[in-house]
Amino acid sequence: MPHLRSTPTTTPAAGRCTCDEGAAAASQLSRRAVLKTALGAGAAAATSFAVGDVSTQVSWAGAGWTGETLVVLSLHGGFDGLSAVVPGGDPGYYAARPNIAVPRATLLGLDQTFGLHPAMAPLMPFWRNGTFGVVHAVGQDNPSRSHFAAMQEMERAAPGTSVRTGWIDRTLGTTGTGSVLNGVQIGVQTPTSFAGPVQETTMNSIPDFSLIGPGDDRPTWHSVLRRMHASAPPVVAQPATTLLTAMEDVARIGTSASGPANGAVYPAGDLGSALAQSATLIRSGAPVQVLAVDYGDWDMHAGLGRVDGGWMRDKLVELSSALAAFATDLGGKLATTTLVTLSEFGRRVGENLSGGLDHGHGNAVLLLGGPVVGGRVHGRWPGLGAGQLLDGDLAGTTDYRAVIGEVLTKRLGAGSLGQVFPGFAGSPLGVVRSR
Amino acid sequence: MVSRARRSVAPASRLAALDDAAQLHLLRRATWGPTPDSRAEIARLGSRAWLEAQLDPASIDDSALEAFVRRFPNYQRSAEDVVRGGYQAVEWNLMFDVGRITLARQIWSRRQLLEVVVDVWNNLLHVACPSSDVWSSRQDYDRTVIRRHAFGSFADMLVDSARNPAMLQFLDNTSSRAGAPNENYARECLELHTVGVEAGYSEADVKTAARLLTGLRANDAGASVFDASRHDGSGGTIFGFSYPAHAPADGFRWIEAYLRWLAVHPATAARVCRRLAVRFVGDDPPASLVDRMAQVWRAGAGQVVPVLRTMFTSPEFAASAEAKTRTPQEDFVASLRTLGTGMEPSGTAGIVKLFWHALDSGHAPMAWPAPNGYPDVAAAWASPSGTLLRWNRHMDFAGGWYPKELQFKPATSLLDALPGTWGGLVDALALRLTGSPLSADERNALLSYTGRGAGTPLGAGDRWVQNNVQYLVALVLDSPTFCKR
Repeated sequence: MPHLRSTPTTTPAAGRCTCDEGAAAASQLSRRAVLKTALGAGAAAATSFAVGDVSTQVSWAGAGWTGETLVVLSLHGGFDGLSAVVPGGDPGYYAARPNIAVPRATLLGLDQTFGLHPAMAPLMPFWRNGTFGVVHAVGQDNPSRSHFAAMQEMERAAPGTSVRTGWIDRTLGTTGTGSVLNGVQIGVQTPTSFAGPVQETTMNSIPDFSLIGPGDDRPTWHSVLRRMHASAPPVVAQPATTLLTAMEDVARIGTSASGPANGAVYPAGDLGSALAQSATLIRSGAPVQVLAVDYGDWDMHAGLGRVDGGWMRDKLVELSSALAAFATDLGGKLATTTLVTLSEFGRRVGENLSGGLDHGHGNAVLLLGGPVVGGRVHGRWPGLGAGQLLDGDLAGTTDYRAVIGEVLTKRLGAGSLGQVFPGFAGSPLGVVRSR
Repeated sequence: MVSRARRSVAPASRLAALDDAAQLHLLRRATWGPTPDSRAEIARLGSRAWLEAQLDPASIDDSALEAFVRRFPNYQRSAEDVVRGGYQAVEWNLMFDVGRITLARQIWSRRQLLEVVVDVWNNLLHVACPSSDVWSSRQDYDRTVIRRHAFGSFADMLVDSARNPAMLQFLDNTSSRAGAPNENYARECLELHTVGVEAGYSEADVKTAARLLTGLRANDAGASVFDASRHDGSGGTIFGFSYPAHAPADGFRWIEAYLRWLAVHPATAARVCRRLAVRFVGDDPPASLVDRMAQVWRAGAGQVVPVLRTMFTSPEFAASAEAKTRTPQEDFVASLRTLGTGMEPSGTAGIVKLFWHALDSGHAPMAWPAPNGYPDVAAAWASPSGTLLRWNRHMDFAGGWYPKELQFKPATSLLDALPGTWGGLVDALALRLTGSPLSADERNALLSYTGRGAGTPLGAGDRWVQNNVQYLVALVLDSPTFCKR
């Protein structure tokens, strides 16, 4: 457990889901304590942390956490990776999309097969300096074309098992330091990937992350609220106690790290705002291991638009400029931060006659950060020829768990992936460098 | 926790207390939150008569709320009328008005059960509001699909939802045509509106359904039409529903037959009845109850009221007290209701601000962006940021801080009489606001906030009470007991 707080805090007895998971929480906590004892001080990450007016060295005793951060940007709705990282060198692409293809002459050249949509120009400097890369033709097992089934399965990440927790929760079960800031979602909703015994935090924004009632009487209110929830059901008590602890931790971060820094300029909108909050948290030195951000509205069944205007172009402009600002904002922390985009599925290769794309399968994953082996498109390209498609879709030749798993093991200090991705036995592609 | 008051009562009044508990349970489930008025009303009528009145909303005078709704004149316009009237597509106010009106109805309508059931249907046959393509039609969908059929026939509601311009736009059926089907509505109709993905239909079923549904579209005037020239008249079988090759002009007949077949399919009956039971009975409702509800559903060809009556009068419902946890939207509305907050005397500035508040909380009516509607189980909403938003809204409302236009009651006037002790003050406020006695932890925590002992005498006109009772009220609303539904 980290020794950040001077006042003892309540540890809820159970997870947010079922009794079984409550029992799992208890065993998890004791197992983690054992791990900590076994690993000793050698595994502790030291972080400079502002407490009140005093800058203090705080020791975050982790079970092997390296101090690095994985940012998962969920492109909910079904991101069309073929419009973003365009296979302009594959004739199948232009044959399938007579009206909505991105013309080859407009592509920002990446290699002989692929080029970026011109709306993604803000990411080209990062492509060139090797901190932005792509994995193409990524998919998941048992492809479903239901948004909701596919999203649930992706966030559960345990196909063919009865495991009910989410993969981020299981990751923090192996690498967590015990801080409620180990896992943070910027937003209101709790993602399925957080389901399970570990306490993660959701927050809308750092400035608004405090009670409006107490004025100067904050400690009293926190103590009253803690006491009031002491014997409440876990589904109410756990988010309440996590909130109180997280508000106390975030208040210690204070305004010293508030951003944006390094001249970063975020685009207006929810994504820019969420990534700015994320960068502030990471720069503050808070023990954020996995940070989740949602950026939806990619379900373009009709009216996707053209290269020079419309739904897709507008989304890619916002996405790319927000990512570029994030990388700039992080400054030196970019070296220890890896951002990965995930979407529940890609879209059909062939356009429909509504000028849009129905649900498909294989997709592009975008990678941003210092650890990334950037400047190239990773993965095996299966091709878009008639005999190469999977029921009209781009085939998935790389399991998304291979991409995440590589970041977890090479950068975050996770040991075996058996617990995070039960039953998965993929090998690393070389998308990030070892530490 | 067992009530200290209840432990000491005589047998006759114990029966009354049990009846009181059953009434409180019904109010917590069948309304957006008990109020002093609704508690008096159900005590006067008895649970059964109160339920029957709620199942016949026209029998309940709701003129004050209806007058409030008339402050939004565009809400009454049809989709075509809005398009014809030159309303701008970029103008989202009409969609926001639908959200504002819905929120106002949840807080102030006397037809409370109707408002809860409308919310269930809004999430089942979900058309996100706001979303860009339904700027002219979402109010039409609200009036002529969801509210028209909320207590009628689900089959009628499904057919009318399929052909309303809002659904045609939201799930793209409007751009689906023979030779170029768009699968979006066909898939979600099976997955979300009727039988559910676990029913086991195939990808081929989805594709066949998409072909059958071609021709149903919204035209440039904003109206719903069946355009035979776009309809694929080939025959097929969808998950057991077979239909012949037909003249395109007869297409709508087969579309309607398909939708009505889906509406009473056993998988639809089970899935939709379970959805109702998740809302009203528990996050994992007893299969025995869902089975009986589904039988009533099928026997009545999707008539809603008999299913609701079966559910509310069941032993499973009676046994489910306090088993649900309020969602953020339920908590938001229930706080205003129990505080006795009144609508603004004129204008709409207050409800407009209140609606932005609800949007910020991530749970404004109908605002979920994806086609599956808001989740309705506690685990989905158990988030620290949601808790913070809940607590901060309690303070806004208890203090009468925001929005100022609403008629907030001063926190000092919530109790008719000031109890003689500090323990009495905490107990009286808790009973007044939550209907239930607090747990020992909650009571002790609130007493520690006052800094007084339970038995310490409380004098009339106490300065601390005058200055701080609004904070104490907010903290009572923050209690786990107030989360129970």
